[in-house]
Formats: sequence, C-alpha cells, structure tokens
Amino acid sequence: MRHLLAALLLLLPPLAATAQPSRDSLTIGLSQYPSNFHPNIENMAAKAYALGFALHPVTAYDAEWKQVCIACTRLPSLENGDATLETTPDGKPGIRVTWQLRQDWKWGDGTPVTAEDFRFAWEAGRAFETGFGPAEFYRSAYAFESGGPHSITLRFDKVTYDYAGLGQFQPLPARIERPIWEADKAGYRVRSAYETDTTNPALYNGPYRIAAVQPGAGVTLERNPHWSGPAPAFNRIQLRMVENSAALEAQLLSGQVDMIAGELGLPLEQATALQRRTGDRFRFHYNPGLTYEHIDLNLENPVLADRRVRQALLLAADRAQIVARLFGGRQEVAHGGIHPRDAGFDPAIPQYPFDPARARALLDEAGWKPGAGGIRRNADGEALAFDFMTTAGNRTREQVQQILAGMWKAVGAEARIRNEPPRVFFAETVSKRRYGGAAMFAWISSPESVPRTTLHSDEIATAARNWSGQNYTGYRDAEVDRLIEALPLELDAEKRLPLWSALQRRVATDLPALPLWHRSDAHVWPHWLEGVMPTGHQNYSSLWVTQWRVR
Amino acid sequence: MTRLRLGLTLLALMALAASVAPWAQQWLGTDPFAPDLFARYAEPSAEHPLGADELGRDLLLRLLYGARVSLGVGLAAALAASVLGTALGVLAAWKGGWVDAVLMRLADGLLALPALPILVLLAAMDPAKLGLPRGDAMVDMLRIVVILVVFGWVGVARLARAGALSLLATDYVRAARALGVTEARLLWRHVLPGLAAPVAVACALAVAGAILTESVLSFLGLGIQPPTPSWGNMLANAQEAVFAAPLAALWPGLAILIAIVGCALVADGVARRGQ
Amino acid sequence: MAGALNLLLWRLPQIALTLVLLSLAAWFAIGLMPGDPVSLAMISDPRLTPADIERLRALHGLDQPLIERYLAWAGGLLRGEFGYSRLFAQPVWRVLWPALLSTLALVGSAVLLAATLGVALGALAALRPRAAPLVDAVALLAQAVPAFWLGILLIILFAVNLGWLPAGGAPDAGQSALPFLVLPVVTIAFGQMAAYARHAAAALSAELSRPHITSARARGAGERRLIWRHALPNAAVPLLTLLALDAGSLVSGALVTETVFARPGMGKLLYDAVMGNDYNLALLALLLVALVTMLATLLADLAQRWIDPRLGER
Repeated sequence: MRHLLAALLLLLPPLAATAQPSRDSLTIGLSQYPSNFHPNIENMAAKAYALGFALHPVTAYDAEWKQVCIACTRLPSLENGDATLETTPDGKPGIRVTWQLRQDWKWGDGTPVTAEDFRFAWEAGRAFETGFGPAEFYRSAYAFESGGPHSITLRFDKVTYDYAGLGQFQPLPARIERPIWEADKAGYRVRSAYETDTTNPALYNGPYRIAAVQPGAGVTLERNPHWSGPAPAFNRIQLRMVENSAALEAQLLSGQVDMIAGELGLPLEQATALQRRTGDRFRFHYNPGLTYEHIDLNLENPVLADRRVRQALLLAADRAQIVARLFGGRQEVAHGGIHPRDAGFDPAIPQYPFDPARARALLDEAGWKPGAGGIRRNADGEALAFDFMTTAGNRTREQVQQILAGMWKAVGAEARIRNEPPRVFFAETVSKRRYGGAAMFAWISSPESVPRTTLHSDEIATAARNWSGQNYTGYRDAEVDRLIEALPLELDAEKRLPLWSALQRRVATDLPALPLWHRSDAHVWPHWLEGVMPTGHQNYSSLWVTQWRVR
Repeated sequence: MTRLRLGLTLLALMALAASVAPWAQQWLGTDPFAPDLFARYAEPSAEHPLGADELGRDLLLRLLYGARVSLGVGLAAALAASVLGTALGVLAAWKGGWVDAVLMRLADGLLALPALPILVLLAAMDPAKLGLPRGDAMVDMLRIVVILVVFGWVGVARLARAGALSLLATDYVRAARALGVTEARLLWRHVLPGLAAPVAVACALAVAGAILTESVLSFLGLGIQPPTPSWGNMLANAQEAVFAAPLAALWPGLAILIAIVGCALVADGVARRGQ
Repeated sequence: MAGALNLLLWRLPQIALTLVLLSLAAWFAIGLMPGDPVSLAMISDPRLTPADIERLRALHGLDQPLIERYLAWAGGLLRGEFGYSRLFAQPVWRVLWPALLSTLALVGSAVLLAATLGVALGALAALRPRAAPLVDAVALLAQAVPAFWLGILLIILFAVNLGWLPAGGAPDAGQSALPFLVLPVVTIAFGQMAAYARHAAAALSAELSRPHITSARARGAGERRLIWRHALPNAAVPLLTLLALDAGSLVSGALVTETVFARPGMGKLLYDAVMGNDYNLALLALLLVALVTMLATLLADLAQRWIDPRLGER
C-alpha cells in the first residue's frame, strides 16, 4: 500500500514554488568531490572544475578547441619569435619558448603573480622527492629562465607542435609554498598550504577564491577582491557534491542546486529523461566532449586476434540505434578515437554502419560456422565466445553491455558478461591486461592529442614496464608507430593532416578497439543563467566564469 | 499458528511463481533476457503485464526469474549460516574455556568489522583461479552467499550458545551425563532439539536479511551482475530512473517486501509455537 | 560492583587484542586487494613512465613487503602518528573526526527515534491486544523496505513534491543542521523500529504475565505504574543487547543512507577509502568503527548487570 501511495504521489505535480532567491549566488551540483586542492599534483575532474574558478592557467583550450592565452599576453609561436628552435646541450633538437604574463595578474592577497612563482612550481615539479605524478613535462623542460617578473622562458629537449601550451603547469605562490617545500620536500604533498590552509586567499589568482570547504560535501567560492579582469556575476558560488545521480536530480528538482555541471553531472540518459518530464523548467545543453567510450579488445585472445572477427563485431552492433533509444540521439556514434570536431579528424576513414549480413559473412569467412545454441564454432569445435567486462555499478555501461551482448548473440557470438568494481577493473584487470576478451571504458583526451599511449607498441603494458602505458589491447603495428612518432614533430598544421588521416585509416581498419561514441555532457541550467560555455575538454567551463551572466 | 501458515503460504506462492518462470515465458512469448530498445519503460500491456524495464525486457518475467536468484541466495545463505552458527555456538557452549573465548571474540570482531573490505575483496576475486567458470550466474550467487554466511553465522552462534548453555545446565542433562550417556548423543538428542525453535526463527529472519542485503549490494554495484535478474539489482537499477519510471522500481520493491513479510511471519509463527 | 570491575578487567584486554588482530586482518585484506595506489594513479595519468611508477612506488613505500609496512604503520600508531589520508591529503584525524561526528549524530538520533517509537509500539501491542495486529503489520512493513528505496521515496515526497525538507546534503555554514537530519534519520529509524517493537512487545507481555506483576495488579496497582516501574526495566535488558549489537552495523550501514542523501559520514568515507586504497584512512576508520561497536557492547553488558544484578558471571 505504501508503495502505491508513493507511486500516486510521484505523479503529483511538484509544488516547486521555491522562492525567488537573490541572484548574487549560484549553487552548482557536481557528482564528485575534489579530494585535494593542489593544482599541480594529480589530475582529477572535480578538482579541475573547482579550481577553474579560482586559479588561472597561462594557456588553455577554449570552447572552439583552440589554444588561447588566459594569463599571457600573446601565444608564443615561431612566427612571432617567442618560440625558437635550438639544439639542446646534449645535441638533440629542442625548443625555447617564452610567455609574457599579464601585468595585472595578482594573487588573492594583492601580490602580483611573477616569474618566481613559476620558477618555484618548476623546481618543485622537477625534484624527485616531491612526488608529483606526471613528470614528463618537468623532465622535458630542462631549463627555466626569466627575463623580468612578467616573462618566463622554458627550454624543452623535444619539439612538439603544441609547444605554445603550458597545459596543467600552473604557478604556485612561492612566497607561501617555497618555505614549506624546502623544509620537507617529501612531505610537501600533504603540507602544502593548498591542503593545510585551503581558504588562504593568497593561494588563488582567478576571479574567485576558495572561502570554505565542507569535506565530502561542498566547496564555497567567493570573489577574489584583487581580481583585475572582468567582474564575475556572482558574489558566491557554492559547489555541492552529490554522487548518487538520483539524489543529484532530486536536489535539482527541490531547488537546492540551481544547475548541474555537465562536466560532472547526470548520466546522459537520465538527463534526457529529465528534460522530457520537466519540459521547459530548465535549460538543457548537450555538449559533445572528448570522452571516448570504446571497447578494448584483447588481441592475445585467439578469437579476437582475427581482424575479421573484430570488424564483424562492430558491424553487428547497432550503435546508431543505441544512441537514438538510450541517449535520445544526444551524442554521436564514434568512428575512432579522434573526435569529429578535432582538427585532425578525417571523415573519409572506414566506417562500420549496422550491417548484420556483412558481419555474418565475415564470420563465415573467418571460419566461424553457425553451431548449436545459435553460437558459432570453428573447425576445432571451439565456440565464438569471449569475456566482456566493464565497471560494475555504472548503470549506463551495464545497459549498453547487455544490449551489445544481445546484438552479438544475434550473429552467433557469445559475450560473457563479467564486471568488476572500478577500482579492481582499472587498477588491475585492465591496466595489467588481464581482461580475457573485451573491456568497455572511456578515454578522456584533449584537443589534438596524439594517441601515443593507447596505440604505440612501446606503450603495451607489460610487467617489464611496470605496467605503464595504456595500450591495453596489445596492438602492434609498425606503420602506426611511425605515424605516432612523426605527428608531434610536424609543426605545420596543414602537413599534419595527411598523417592524421593515415593513422585513423589504419586504426579503423585494424580495430584494436571498437569505437562506440564520444560522450556528450548534459548541462542543466536555470533559465536565468546565461553565458556558460561548455568546452567538452579538460579546460572546463568554470575557467570562463566571468562570462556567466544573470538574465 | 495462522501466522506460520500465512507466511509459509506466501513463500510457497513465491517459490511456485519462480518455478513456473519458463512456462510463463512461453506463454507470454517474450524473452526477458533480450533487450528491446523500442520497449524501454513500456507501460503495462497485454505483452508486458507489468511493463518493461530500462532495456525493454518484460518486468513480470524478470521478477519470476529474479525470484529464483533472490530466494535461492536467501535460502542458501540462511541455511548455511544456521548450520555453521549452530555448530559453532554449541561447540562454544559445550567446550567452554578458550574455545569459547576465541569463538566469541571472533564473533565480536565480525560483528564489529564493517563488511565492506571483504565484500570488495570477494567481488574482486577471479573465479577462474578457483576453477569456476567466469561470468556464470551461479558463481555470482555463490559469492554473495559466502559473504552473507561469513557475517551471518555470528547471530545464530550467539543464540545457539546461549540456548545450549542453559540446556547443558539443566538437571536433566546433568542426570543424563551421570548415567553415562555419551557426549555426542547428549548433544544430538538433548541439546540440538531444544535449539530447533530459536534457530528456526533466526533462520527465517536470516532469509529476509539476505534478500535485503543482496539489494544493498546491488545498490553498491557489488551484487548479482547483469544480465541475471535479481530483485535486488532490478530495484537498484530502477532507483536511478525512479523519477522517469517509478513503476519499474515499484514491482521489485513489492516482491522484496512480500518475501520478507513472509519470512517474518514464519519466524513469528515458529516463535509463538515455541512458547 | 565487583562483578562489573571483573567484567571490565576481562573484556578490555580482549577488546585491545581484537583490535590488533582486526587491524592485521584488514591490512592484509586491503593490501591483497588488486590495485595499489600507484596503479590507481597510472590509470588517471597516461603520461606516467615506468621510471615514474618506480619512483612513486618507492615514495609510498609500496616496494616493501606487506608485513613490514604493517609494522611501520603500527609503530607510528603507537607513537601517536596517525599519518595522512592519501585521498584527501589531510591528517587522518581531520578527515575522520567530522565524519564520525556526523554519522554519530545521524545514527544516534535514528536509534533514539527507533527505540522510542519501537518501545511505544511494543507497549501498545502488549497492553492493548486489539492493537497488536496493527503493530505487527507496521513492524513487518518497516523491516521489509530496503533503506535506499525508502530514502528515495522520502526525498521525492517531502523534498521534491512537497518542498518541506532538503533533499540531502549538508548544511552550509550558519544553516541549521536539523532539517538536513530529518529524512535520513527517518530512513534509518524506520527499518530499525521493527526489531525494537517486536522485542519490546514480547518482553513486555512476558513480564506482564509474571507472578509479581499479576500480584501487583491484584493489589490494585495502576496499569501505567505497572509498566513503568515493573515491566519496562526488566524488558530493557534484551532491548539494550539489541542496541549494542546494532551499533557497528549501523555505523557502517549508514553508507547507504549517506549515499542516497549525499551526507558526508563514516560509511561513505570508509567505502571511498577502501575503493581508493587509502590505507591509513581505511584502517583507522575500520578500527574506530570496531572500537565504537565493542565499547557499545560492553556498555550494554554493564547496563544489563546494573539493571538486573541477578545476571551472573558471563
């Protein structure tokens, strides 16, 4: 009875008469809590989103996926002379790049951001004991020079076409952080003021500063009084972290949060259902992003080692139907790891529209003949079957997985579902290539990123390499290796295009991984909010908060 | 008496429903394991008497098949926990001394131990290493049963120990001992029968507890893995879309409710009969 | 009183020993679980080279055998060094303390509410046999509803459709914590209530039929006085046991409620720590929960003796 009553009450129109709040504050719902706040240690989506309001990088990719200056005055290039090719002391081709910083860029206590702050960040990153995760940037940037407080120069021991970007490398307030670091380099990670004194205004140089932290529940941002750029619209921005997506939806409907950040928001199918039900109560925006859902196939599995089988599996999967039915048509079927909006994308690469007849023909050709129980068998009587794994508890993936298994069964291939909690799945099964057959997960990349770690044969994760590298399929192709090595070295964007095409064509033919789709982020905004510009990559919309406006 | 009968009737009906699943499937003519993207969250109709789930599969049939898993897991876990718990509880009471101390502190520790790390550990185990087939629903069920037994025997053991202690202290048992009755016979003939009622009550409640726990494990993503339906994972999957399709969450919730009510009635009935 | 002291002397070392064994078992359980902190870092960062990984392993001390790491950790613990949480980059206590307080507030209020309602229902059933079936039905229902399902229903009803209470989360600075507590407390208490109602009803009706009550009744003592002075104190013994047994499962079981209501707390913290391989945090959280439970059991035992001195040794 209680259930029935509740079900009836569910159908009641929500009162929703939440009083018109003053619009000088904004509450944003997120699905993840930033567990730490140091900008240069570890990468984490929630941290990047929260710090986007409070810390500005020197350069970033914008909503058009172009590299732009955020805190510099112009982007370095060979043409304007800020970047010059040179030879490193040990005779390798190198590059020297200078960034001119904005003169009015200040920390939240009024002191200017200077080259010294960058020098410290660089030194701390290069020091072995500090324990910063990704050391490649710091290894490659072998010298730091400064021609004045607002100019920094780095010399790299390799040349890549994205030399103008500083990526995740951000200045740290040397006045505060250097003494802490020098006192205990190994303990810096936990002793940094970002962790011990998170609400210190002098740690932030963006339009907002972190004013309060409620562990596990929320982060409060307030205006940075020393911000000299265009003034943001809100005095306060409150971030609320709600992991359970039904609870997040409830907080939106009950008016506790004003908007849901698409970068870390509702699963797409939940957002489309919400939109259907709530009509025009909220504004929905589906933004294509650089999160690439795919299925890695273990090429050591004898069944999947045959390219024809891999192609047949993709042909037998009606991805367009899944996108239309499950995701309300709000995201696009992927043809490979390169996003259609990316500069290097080639629309002419081989594609695999739903074609079960061709899939069957390919399987026949590969020696898999229809057998008992609808499952194909080869000449030795082995069944066309493989394990199909993904992250347990991720309902979207579990749904897709079951649909795909059904579609494959229709052409005589059996995918045995076996899922594991994310921690086990990622940290053990996938990264040590212990998934027997197929593993469905996503890669998050950045614009114009060369898929070296996932496709180059040097990146095949093995015990000898400490299981580093993300080529989990075991894909090995000399031509692909060559293209991946050549791409970053080609500084002329026009000349890179044929390399990109060749790479995509090769991979789309071999199919070491089955492309599914590039995920769309579902942004949910109130009607009175304008100017949020989702980017679809790791420089999140929060970086451009000064453009957000109340209507 | 009526409670016991009512409870048993409810449970018997559910078991019956579970056993007719294949015939119901034939009769309805739909495959509850094959996703149908055109019928997502379909309203109840002649084809889908209770509607369809998030993948367009028939809810009624999945409930029937789910009953096999949920009731099976519940029964197996409760029986195993009861047998183990009774054995250890009687052992502790009979031996006393350090055996008793160790067993009871182990029980304390298990009661105090948050089950989670063990759940994750077991969820992470590769069944292939134990020579079991991968991706098999039976293995999944076995895993959940093991988890439930590891934590479930404690309650029964405490009960059994307390009961056995008082039985062993009765004049009757003392007299039997004095007459030279062997210890094994003593336990078998005089102690165990006296424990039957409380253990039966605990067992019935353990079935209910196991069904609930299975749904919580599914909620955490550690339960019975798809595509095998269980009431728990049906409910957990539906809660995500509870705003869009409340009906999909209503039915498994109701099934769990009825099963637990059935178990509780049986437990109650047995307890009253014992008095 | 001598009995109580004996009990303490006997049980406190046992508790200490159990904690030590528990920490060892948990250390190995977490350590043997696939995926150490560095593997987790590898997944989130494709640019890590084999050398980076070696470096990070050494930095985190992961190249040492498990048992040595345990000894080092336990040694630190004895010196009062609780270490840092890896996930939150904070001293463990700074993470644990607020979570423990939040969970204790939640679970404490819930147990209080459940016991009050349960005993009231139980008393009703014991005193008014006609109301007994109704009480039974309520208790049956209460124990049959999965907590997360109930939580979501409550959210939809009271937060989304009626707008009376917040849908979850924690209060901002300066906000009253009370409204945020109501729905989660009701969610936990509803399920707990059943057991209290049953036990209270059973214990009370058993007490009420005992000779000293019947004789008191014959002497004309009022029903109310009978319940309060005679029956309830005796019936409290099994209820206290129930309460103590529930303490541990409640704290770690708060996980589900905390997840549904997006409330930071021990359950959620423990889950995240285990899933994120945050040794220090997971271990201390585990031990803390275990300690709370065992102390609760001990307190219940002491209270039972105090109420009913007839309870002999053990």
